[in-house]
Amino acid sequence: MTDVLARRSFRGLATSEAIELVHDELDGLWQDAPIVQDIDQMTFTTAVIEAASNIVQHAEPATALPVELGVEISVHAALLQARVSAFHAKPPFGPMEPVSADDDSESGRGLALIQALVTTVTFERQDATNTWVLSRTPSASAP
Amino acid sequence: MEFSYEIKDSYAEVKANGRLNMVSAPKLREFVTDVIAGGSSRIVVNLENTAFMDSSGLGALIGCLKAARQAGGDLRIAAVQPQVKMVLELTSMDRVLTSYASAEEAFSHD
Repeated sequence: MTDVLARRSFRGLATSEAIELVHDELDGLWQDAPIVQDIDQMTFTTAVIEAASNIVQHAEPATALPVELGVEISVHAALLQARVSAFHAKPPFGPMEPVSADDDSESGRGLALIQALVTTVTFERQDATNTWVLSRTPSASAP
Repeated sequence: MEFSYEIKDSYAEVKANGRLNMVSAPKLREFVTDVIAGGSSRIVVNLENTAFMDSSGLGALIGCLKAARQAGGDLRIAAVQPQVKMVLELTSMDRVLTSYASAEEAFSHD
């Protein structure tokens, strides 16, 4: 993989407050990496916040330890990547694939939105940690 | 995120300033519900200062739309910014949540 141009990370209890802090980290990241175009900043920020919010809303603790949210974001010349993790968490339940929400639904659009915003989404589970890896090829370097 | 509202001639304008995410989405629902309970069922949510919206925020807008219609009115959105427009289009909810250039235009042809 190419050199990292900018990097930010967050780890803390998976609470609502964490979402605002992760968003602040993303804003700081784009200031550190102005090479990233606005459209890529916008789409990747949205995908990362969706994934982090999914953990805060749905992750359940595997043990007595509370679930922690971890986000590591790196900017490369030809790749934006985020590892969004739920530490001390049970394996996710329910569908891992997007479901189609009808027009009246007030929830259920997050996974589909993530998939529309990034190039690839992969899931890893190791040692009671669920990790979603989001990757996006920036517009300027897309074929 | 901060909310405020102003009663106009034929509608209530709700201003939402900040990030409309899983933190603020329940607060928007509560705020608009209170505006409707106060007698205004024609609502314009002015998103001029909403630079970010996620699927939770979108869900809140849909909930507010349903509440307004159940009260005999409607909810429309105005001054949508690029990220919010992107989320509306990717989820195809731009078909459901009608967007106007300004709050004044939202109910001007009714």
